[in-house]
Amino acid sequence: MSGPSTLNVQLSTRPQFPWRIVDVIVAGIFIYAGAIKVLDPVQFANDIDNYKILPWPVSVALAFYLPWLEILCGLGLIFRFLYRGALSILTALILVFTLATVAAKVRGLDITCGCFGHASQHWSFPAHLLTNLAILAALLALCICERAETRLNRPA
Amino acid sequence: MKFSLARQALILAALALVPGMGEAVYFRHKISWQSPIPPSELATVAQARAWGENVIWADARPDEDFARDHVPGALSLNEDRWNELLPQFLAAWSPGKKIVVYCSSLSCNASREVARRLRKEAQIPDVFVLEGGWEAWLKSK
Repeated sequence: MSGPSTLNVQLSTRPQFPWRIVDVIVAGIFIYAGAIKVLDPVQFANDIDNYKILPWPVSVALAFYLPWLEILCGLGLIFRFLYRGALSILTALILVFTLATVAAKVRGLDITCGCFGHASQHWSFPAHLLTNLAILAALLALCICERAETRLNRPA
Repeated sequence: MKFSLARQALILAALALVPGMGEAVYFRHKISWQSPIPPSELATVAQARAWGENVIWADARPDEDFARDHVPGALSLNEDRWNELLPQFLAAWSPGKKIVVYCSSLSCNASREVARRLRKEAQIPDVFVLEGGWEAWLKSK
């Protein structure tokens, strides 16, 4: 007999493998980016300050705070701990980073993004933008997938 | 965990505060909350002039600006050609000499970056950023 509850169980236990890979890749990117910045907060504070958007004390505070937020949210994606919160924070972060990058370009600022420490020092603007957009697309896909899963698992 | 999305995000945001604050305490002597450049690493034009022969000037502006005009005796040391210019600069520097780095104005970052890299990569302790940069030099002439 196959009622709605059986269908829900079947759908909720569908293979998660491809999405788990996306989870781990996106999480890995943020954990790596966070770890590099944790090791050199002075450089990251300078990178934030180069955008000329925030006052220096705020740049310093963010330089200490944001890398840990990235790492925690990355771990949240891997271990599915506070998963939806982690996804939404990372999506918001990448949106803000992308907007700040575009704004810097529009204002003619020639700066390093600071996203991956010295590894990203010589990234061109298009490379930087494309990377951010790819991460954003992956995060949005994960959000959609998670919402669909929640809806399917909700008791009728 | 069956928390609402907003609550999950808030919990994560709060959790990140803990190591963030710990790191802020750990790095408290390495970064100033008041200014990107600690006062001890800034030099005014008058100060730098008073050092006389004991100072070497580093021009962190782009090549074109350096070619147009620069502080007498200054050497070009910008990030665009860092690997090429650094050895030439170090050849002209001798231990005990102070380095004063400048870029175009108060708001530019190039001098700060070059000074930071000189300290970090070349392990030179006496590196100062010229307050007000090239503009301040021109005004003082």
